[in-house]
Amino acid sequence: MSCLEVRELLPELALGVLSPGERTEVERHLRWCAGCRKEAAELGQAAATLAFTLEPAPVPHGLGERIVERIERAAGAPGTPRRARMAAASIVAAMVGIAGLGWGSVMAGRAERFEARAAQAEMERAAALERFQKVLLGVVPDQELPARETHLGQLTPTADGRGGGAVLQLVSDRMLDFTVVIVNGLDPEDTDALPYRVELENAAGSVIRAGQIRELDADGGAEVFRQFRNKDLRGFTTVRIVDATGRIVLSGVVDQTS
Amino acid sequence: MEGLLAGNEDAVRTLYARYARPVFTLGLRLLGSVEAAEELTQDVFLAAWRKAARFDPARGRLSTWLMTIAHNLAVDRLRHETGATRPHLVLVDEVPEVATAGEEDPLAPVAERDAAIRALGTLSQADKRLLARAYFGGLTAREIAEADGIPLGTVKTRLRTALIKVRRANRDKERP
Repeated sequence: MSCLEVRELLPELALGVLSPGERTEVERHLRWCAGCRKEAAELGQAAATLAFTLEPAPVPHGLGERIVERIERAAGAPGTPRRARMAAASIVAAMVGIAGLGWGSVMAGRAERFEARAAQAEMERAAALERFQKVLLGVVPDQELPARETHLGQLTPTADGRGGGAVLQLVSDRMLDFTVVIVNGLDPEDTDALPYRVELENAAGSVIRAGQIRELDADGGAEVFRQFRNKDLRGFTTVRIVDATGRIVLSGVVDQTS
Repeated sequence: MEGLLAGNEDAVRTLYARYARPVFTLGLRLLGSVEAAEELTQDVFLAAWRKAARFDPARGRLSTWLMTIAHNLAVDRLRHETGATRPHLVLVDEVPEVATAGEEDPLAPVAERDAAIRALGTLSQADKRLLARAYFGGLTAREIAEADGIPLGTVKTRLRTALIKVRRANRDKERP
């Protein structure tokens, strides 16, 4: 885009009404063009003036504390997303390892890919199992997770991307279907990519949303759990993690035949 | 700002005390519910903390930077929720009341608001309405042109001219 074309779009950028595609192109131009960047900043400041004309609404009590807590969590204080993610990873590792579920041979190959995680998880296997059961209590009334209705997949980065992840799906006639997605190694500095959305697609091209990743921890990790009340996940085997600009960053396929 | 960058709790609180109300108010206006506005406010301050290193005071004021983050996040949220190519922003005529009073300094936003109203006061009613239809209503220049039956170029020029006028009024106010 030339400076002339960009400047024509700057008022709409400032007012937040450019299409995502145009916005991406304009913002790309602004990264290197100081002149347009200056004009964009000036128009942006004028547009923000509109926000300050609104009659102020009272802020809910305790919101400040909740924000401080969230920032502390993101900064890596105890109880961080990383620990939560480890718990979720432990669940997957534990599931892979539970002989009683009977997926042994099917999951053996996949389990190797999770070897590093599984090794860590082994240290707290008992706790992981406990957490695993807690999750299941909310999902599966009788704590019984049928192996043939539980499926696992790997997420790998697109051509020039980074990171990876794992997907676990329950596809059942008797229970509410759910998806657990764990990602790792995305770029935590790339905040413009947030939020990521998790999409599931079937062979007919129907797409359903399986949650959002609104923040990453310092390792570029996060986990998403989504239970579907009115959706049958059967056939929704393609899993994609899509960033805020619509780019697919991770993708994979869940083997629902296993 | 350095404090925010370092994840300093006091810096977050200071920033919150100063800007929580306008951010929350904008969220309420654009998203239409207290819950969504609260979530947006959390996201804005978290984003500000994450992006603190990118804030350049030479390029604009902190308040502008925060409100731009808030507006963009709200618009993004509406786009994701509706799956539409442009936001379907709802014009909320009466902002719903929240039961509990806030914790921030009530004086700061008032001064900012007075200044904003004065700056917008330099525009004609028609131009004020034009900017509001885009900023609060989510209408693109093309949509406004089609709705009003006027050339697209005219709408774009009017939007630009109106924003420049507001910018000039803000600048005059900042001069000693």
